[in-house]
Amino acid sequence: MQRRDRQLGLLYALPIGVFLAVAFLAPILLVAAFSTMPPKVFSIWNMPDFSAYYTVITQGYWKTVAWSLGMSMAATLILFVVCWPLAYGMAKVFGRFSLVLTIGVVMTLFVSENIRLFGWVLTLMKGGLVEGYIRAWTGTGFDGLLYNVPVIVFGLCYVYLPFMLFPLAQGIAMVPEDARAAAFDLGATRWQIFREIELPLAMPGILVGSLLTFVLAAGALAETKLLGGQAVIVIAEEVETAFTYGQNWPLGAALAMVLIVIVGGIAIWGIGRADLDRMMGRR
Amino acid sequence: MRTSRLMGWLLVAYGCAVLAFLYLPLVSVGLASISKARYLTFPIRRYAYDWYGEALASDTVRDLLLVSLKVAGIVTVLSMVIGFLGALAFARYSWRFRKAYQKLILLPIFFPQTVLGLALLMWFNTVGIIPSWKTAVVAHLVWIAPIATLVISIRAYSFDPALEEAARDMGATTWDTLREVTIPLLMPGVISAGLFAFLLSWGNFPLSLFTTGADSTLPEWLYAKMVSGYSPLVPTVGILTVGTSAVLLALGLTAALIFKRARAARNA
Amino acid sequence: MGDQPILRINALTKRFNEFTALHGIDLNVRDGEFLAIVGPSGSGKTTLIRLLVGMDEPTEGAIWLRDSRIDAVPANKRPTCMVFQSLALFPHRSVGQNIEFPLKLRKVAPATRKARALELLELLRLPASYYDKRIDECSGGEKQRVALARALAFDPEILFFDEPLSALDYRLRKTLEKELKDLHRRTGKTFIYITHSLEEAMVMSDRIAIMKAGRFEQIAPAAEIYARPRSRFVAEFMGEVNLFDMVDGRVPGLRFGPRASNLFVGQTGTLVVRPESVALLAPGEEADVALEGIIESEYLLGSRVQYTVAREGAAPVTVEVLRENAVGGPGAPVVMGFGTSACHLIAPEARDAAA
Repeated sequence: MQRRDRQLGLLYALPIGVFLAVAFLAPILLVAAFSTMPPKVFSIWNMPDFSAYYTVITQGYWKTVAWSLGMSMAATLILFVVCWPLAYGMAKVFGRFSLVLTIGVVMTLFVSENIRLFGWVLTLMKGGLVEGYIRAWTGTGFDGLLYNVPVIVFGLCYVYLPFMLFPLAQGIAMVPEDARAAAFDLGATRWQIFREIELPLAMPGILVGSLLTFVLAAGALAETKLLGGQAVIVIAEEVETAFTYGQNWPLGAALAMVLIVIVGGIAIWGIGRADLDRMMGRR
Repeated sequence: MRTSRLMGWLLVAYGCAVLAFLYLPLVSVGLASISKARYLTFPIRRYAYDWYGEALASDTVRDLLLVSLKVAGIVTVLSMVIGFLGALAFARYSWRFRKAYQKLILLPIFFPQTVLGLALLMWFNTVGIIPSWKTAVVAHLVWIAPIATLVISIRAYSFDPALEEAARDMGATTWDTLREVTIPLLMPGVISAGLFAFLLSWGNFPLSLFTTGADSTLPEWLYAKMVSGYSPLVPTVGILTVGTSAVLLALGLTAALIFKRARAARNA
Repeated sequence: MGDQPILRINALTKRFNEFTALHGIDLNVRDGEFLAIVGPSGSGKTTLIRLLVGMDEPTEGAIWLRDSRIDAVPANKRPTCMVFQSLALFPHRSVGQNIEFPLKLRKVAPATRKARALELLELLRLPASYYDKRIDECSGGEKQRVALARALAFDPEILFFDEPLSALDYRLRKTLEKELKDLHRRTGKTFIYITHSLEEAMVMSDRIAIMKAGRFEQIAPAAEIYARPRSRFVAEFMGEVNLFDMVDGRVPGLRFGPRASNLFVGQTGTLVVRPESVALLAPGEEADVALEGIIESEYLLGSRVQYTVAREGAAPVTVEVLRENAVGGPGAPVVMGFGTSACHLIAPEARDAAA
């Protein structure tokens, strides 16, 4: 039985394993190779000179990296605070309503991110839903709410809310009801239960949710472009610009590598710590 | 320790507020799509459905629709197959590299999609493939096949291994077991994975952006139009795209409900 | 053991929508007593303990702890605590941290906390090295002791138990039952123990309260409940029993000798006889009450043998005898008898009475 399990496991893992090796790992290695090339070449059969990294360091790209990471960190923190009560409700209080909520939130994931962000543009712009109606009712309008840093963070929060909400709810559901009741019985207040019991026991969910949000937000592009206008430039946009307008693949690859190393490092660290079997409910 | 009734209602109200927040932008797009004016300003003075007629009659929109459908359809079928096998390896069998494999599956989901799209573009270029909608299928699959695997895994986790062992005990071959026990039991998971796959591919933009070559999907076209200035067709086509997803999702959920009811009725 | 009740329950009622889980029950618990509340699942014992520890509020009635009314006080403000069925040990904390938890909540200094935790480890016969052990490294019995230590660290006025031994294997359960009784004696605290196992209740408790459908059927020491059940339910709940319906001093199929005839004259009710009180009579041997039948089946119970004896036109009778008194297997006709001292008559009106 066990021998057969081992063979079947390997066999069934082959299709997706091979596919990801060819279409995911190989392209990343290629990016790594390209990032060492001299400027503006379109093939990896050149002498590596690592000049792209020199450009990345000297040309002030650290600023865009800092903006990306800073804004995604802000979005992660805000989302944690916003999602905790809701996740708590879904895991412990709602019952049937939590299914409604789940379906309602999942459905938004199926709508192209562009369309939803565009909807926010229509909502928040001068002459948009908010400003337009306020002007119509009160007679005085304002300049619209777009094209600044807070609105980009807002957009990140909006788009990545489900990625925080669901892991968090999963994490809270993993807190045994008895552990909370026992702490309560032993004299803990609500706040003490949160700090001593729920927070540490829901940590796997908190970790996955925060990582997912942070990592996805760090590589985000559309929020800045559609909502932020020219307020700031993020790393993903620099990568895109280097590839398209700049026609400088090595520079784009080097910038991409910076993002990949940061994001990949965090992701691998986080994924390595989570016990997937337990989180997903293996018997 | 009970959550008080008041607290419960406050939480429900909060949940409704979050849902409203999530759907508000779609309401704006919907309203914009039926505004008569060429340059949109709220409040909308005159409503008209002309833009829908124009969008449906347009050749561009039809081509976009065709490309999006082709990509999403193929992605759906492939991710169901790959995901089914992948999920068995993920959740059901104990084998040597399972833990490492589980982590490999998760990585593409965490990966920034824009960068992934660019990396694939370089890869196709290096191995000499000219990007078209077919390469977009590959790009989508890198992200969607792992998601399908996870969705089916959830079902596979709650699957009692003793059932397969019982089938084998009664003389079933590996193939018999797969056909008679494993596939039927995981079917609901496979179908929801298929639905996920279609919808995610249908709405995806960052992966398509660099990998479709001369072809273009609906979300790509929408993005191009959004960045290059307002067109009254943008909200209209946007709503049509959303509408398609909604109809498909409604069909999927109804089918699931009917299936469940029918099974409950049979068991009763 | 003081006479003043530490806990008084007065007309306690709990309703969930349509369903009434507790029907206005009363109970007095003496200070220092070990009281077991026993009942089948669905009898309301879990609802009762949730009200007693403060996880839930009663619909009507009052709970008094000494002189203060506590039924509206939430669990975290009550000076009582519970050992959960699941034990509810915190998996993310070490053994020591678990035990110190209630002290930490009270902002006791770390050094004092640790000293107390080590004392409790010793009291529960766990080595001091367990202080730093992780919960999932402990065996079932060790976890049980850690949970007890944690509850004792709280220093409760009353310690509640919600079937904490039910998940353990038989031998370990037996050991822990004795330890728990011993702990009760050494700490002098009031223990209220909920269980569905009568055996567990009989081994440990001073008094047993038997619950059925949201009411107490009988509250008394184990020996009294066994010998004088107040109702058919209690009689049957206390283990294998023979019940005969008596109308006006007569039971069909039973032959009463002079002593039994005099005793039961004119009486109506249910006659209770334990299987071990029934003897197999040798030919010519007499008994106060005699009956006959044919052995249907035979079970070996260690040093004893149990027979199910079929009777014509009446329910079968269960008889338990020492192995040396055994008389052949199924199919053998037998005459059985028992003395009036082994009988207990349940009056019909007593059936619905609550204690």
